[in-house]
Amino acid sequence: MTKMDNVAIADQVDQSSHPSTFLSKYIWSQDHKVIAIQYSITAIAVGLVALVLSGMMRLQLGFPNEFSFIDPASYLQFVTMHGMIMVIYLLTALLLGGFGNYLIPLMIGARDMVFPFLNMLSYWIYLLSVLVLLASFFVSGGPTGAGWTLYPPQAILSGTPGADAGILLMLASLAIFIVAFTMGGLNYVTTILQARAKGMTLMRMPLTLWGIFVATILGLLAFPALLVSAIMMIFDKVIGTSFFMPAILSLGETLEHSGGSPILFQHLFWFFGHPEVYIVALPAFGMVSDVIAIHARKNIFGYRMMVWAIIAIGGLSFVVWAHHMYVSGMNPYFGFFFATTTLIIAIPTALKVYNWLLTLWRGNIHLTVPMLFAIGFIFTFTHGGLTGLMLGNVVIDLPLSDTFFVVAHFHMVMGVSPIMVLFAAIYHWFPLLTGRYLSNRLGKFHFWGTFLGTYAIYLPMHYLGFLGVPRRYYAMGDTDFIPESAQTLNAGITVSAIIVALVQLVFIINVIWSTFKGKKSGRNPWQATSLEWQTAQFPPEHGNWGEQLPQVYRWAYDYSVPKVKDDFIPQNLCPKEVEYLASDKNMTKGESNATF
Amino acid sequence: MQLFKSLQEKPWLATGLEPQTDLPSSPLNKENAASTALQFFLAVITVIFFLFTITFLQRTQSFDFQALSGEPWLPFTNAKILWQNSAYLLLASISIILAKRFAEQQSLHAIILSLTATAIFTLLFISGQVQVWQQLNQSGFYITNNPANSYYFLLTGVHALHIIGGILVFMRCVWLFSFSLSYQQLTARLKLCAMYWHYLFFIWLFLFFLLTSDAETFKTIALICGF
Repeated sequence: MTKMDNVAIADQVDQSSHPSTFLSKYIWSQDHKVIAIQYSITAIAVGLVALVLSGMMRLQLGFPNEFSFIDPASYLQFVTMHGMIMVIYLLTALLLGGFGNYLIPLMIGARDMVFPFLNMLSYWIYLLSVLVLLASFFVSGGPTGAGWTLYPPQAILSGTPGADAGILLMLASLAIFIVAFTMGGLNYVTTILQARAKGMTLMRMPLTLWGIFVATILGLLAFPALLVSAIMMIFDKVIGTSFFMPAILSLGETLEHSGGSPILFQHLFWFFGHPEVYIVALPAFGMVSDVIAIHARKNIFGYRMMVWAIIAIGGLSFVVWAHHMYVSGMNPYFGFFFATTTLIIAIPTALKVYNWLLTLWRGNIHLTVPMLFAIGFIFTFTHGGLTGLMLGNVVIDLPLSDTFFVVAHFHMVMGVSPIMVLFAAIYHWFPLLTGRYLSNRLGKFHFWGTFLGTYAIYLPMHYLGFLGVPRRYYAMGDTDFIPESAQTLNAGITVSAIIVALVQLVFIINVIWSTFKGKKSGRNPWQATSLEWQTAQFPPEHGNWGEQLPQVYRWAYDYSVPKVKDDFIPQNLCPKEVEYLASDKNMTKGESNATF
Repeated sequence: MQLFKSLQEKPWLATGLEPQTDLPSSPLNKENAASTALQFFLAVITVIFFLFTITFLQRTQSFDFQALSGEPWLPFTNAKILWQNSAYLLLASISIILAKRFAEQQSLHAIILSLTATAIFTLLFISGQVQVWQQLNQSGFYITNNPANSYYFLLTGVHALHIIGGILVFMRCVWLFSFSLSYQQLTARLKLCAMYWHYLFFIWLFLFFLLTSDAETFKTIALICGF
């Protein structure tokens, strides 16, 4: 057996496999926990770049022509890079690469991913994709300014910022990212299917894992659409083929292209793009379910329905893509079909919202920081979901298309909402990483600043959309139908955005300070039932489980079980070891859940 | 069906170690894990070629599309060299199955012979494909001339890249066998390699049919698909 194979410790303890040098422990590590942290730090770092870019955009929109370093071209570049980084390189990478990597082996009771070397490779290829993307800031012409949707023909034609090296680096970076994601994704699904601890049936898995599992499958099946379109667009740009490029006049010059279909690119892009919404949302749905159940000390309401809803949403997400293209001139029957499927997807989604609320109902709600963020998510997600129902209808979408209403909608539903869950998750699982709490006081300040601040940004943005203020415009100019008050509103939104951005600095300070000086949490500080909190050492060390893998005896939601001494029963606690209240010592195995 | 049965489980009702039927194999079976990962990877490859195919079929109906077969002067009206390449890939697929069987029987000489045959036939396939590319270029069927040419180069290129990826994994397997792998481990790995080779062979047959069809066939397919 080679040294590499020895490191794969998914099923056995091999003392020789424990990394001993700094390099093998923290840099070329094959430990899923270290890889998760590497993913998270990289994703958050590049996310901060995107946050700064959004600040620049807002400065221009709020105070037009006040800042000489923001010209129309750079404005479009900020928009494009902000969108792409946030969706792909931050949210997807952090939710799946970060949380997926950290939680999957721990929650299913495995020692590591089944292919640790591939897992490590996945991170380094992801990092390469980030570097290639960021390199576009330093090439001639700068990064692409084609909008995050990269629609041809304009994305690769001169006149669009970054139409030379910028767009090529973007496409190359996306292709590299997809290779990295596929490596990671194959690991996640295989680990969940093949490496679960004894007794951990699929339906005993916490919903976090269900969300990550289905989202990964979506990613594996949806990212190829982006890969295919990226390859074809690179061919169009570099070799001069005409996959997406029609016969076209550019800057007075007839180009060589002929017969290609830009609409075809849109179909491919959104065949990836819509499932991408759920690649981000499903892990968030799963994590928020667990946070709510744990901090309300109550079993999740309708567990089976929650699982089925995750699967249904995943399946339906592949048949709704063209609702992003109502204005592309599609056949009206197509529009009807896609509007219908879009509205149908609201059913399992609404079911989940009701179940979160019903979990809270009469729960023993602890208003901890993770719980605050989780409740905040229910608000923002419901808000974004409802405007999604509006935009899913063709007749409403047509006038609102490409206005700030759309920007407000998708930021609420797939920007703010997953970010709220990410924060809930970070505050919740931080003690597992470090053995310390994040500061409660700073956390509450962070929550209220973020929650109220994002509402201050996006609520007025809906109104701007109703007024008809278009998105992606550098400046409104003298547009008659847009009143002067819209500009005042824009300035207010910008001030709110800057405040929200500054509040995030408090979060970063909190993370750094608490890592070293935070209050010690002790084992299982939230008194959770799921396996990640039941490891031999706390915080878990390489190999996770010491000498013996855990055995699972129950689902992950035995909270406040009647007549049981503690208000939670860990998944790996043998029924014989469950302690009952003094008057109920005669209770036998299996009766503990009878009242549910 | 097992999955649907699992999804109907009511986990809140039962406690204990084995109330359910879908218990994972414990401890981890690496062979099963690798097989699961490969199946998902093949699904990813399927989606890639499926999407390329959809875009291709749509493009076949555009005014500037000229099929590469049908008329005597078109390159694939007589696709002899492609049949030859197909035979190479088929032989590679067969020899990798033989290698797996010989590994089961622990017959070292036969293993070496069949592994060598697999490598040679696969490389012959790749070089044959490159030869077709050269012939197309020499005959004036450049990649940018016509969407049919573009798709030919693109799809066969993507297919060849997958084959090359397979060769790398195959070489690693042979390398490890020469140092440390047991016959049992070799058999398990060759089983997966064989699955991959067969799959790429079928993908190739599909591409062969697709890329060498004539205009009438494309018209019929487009009619059926509603393009």
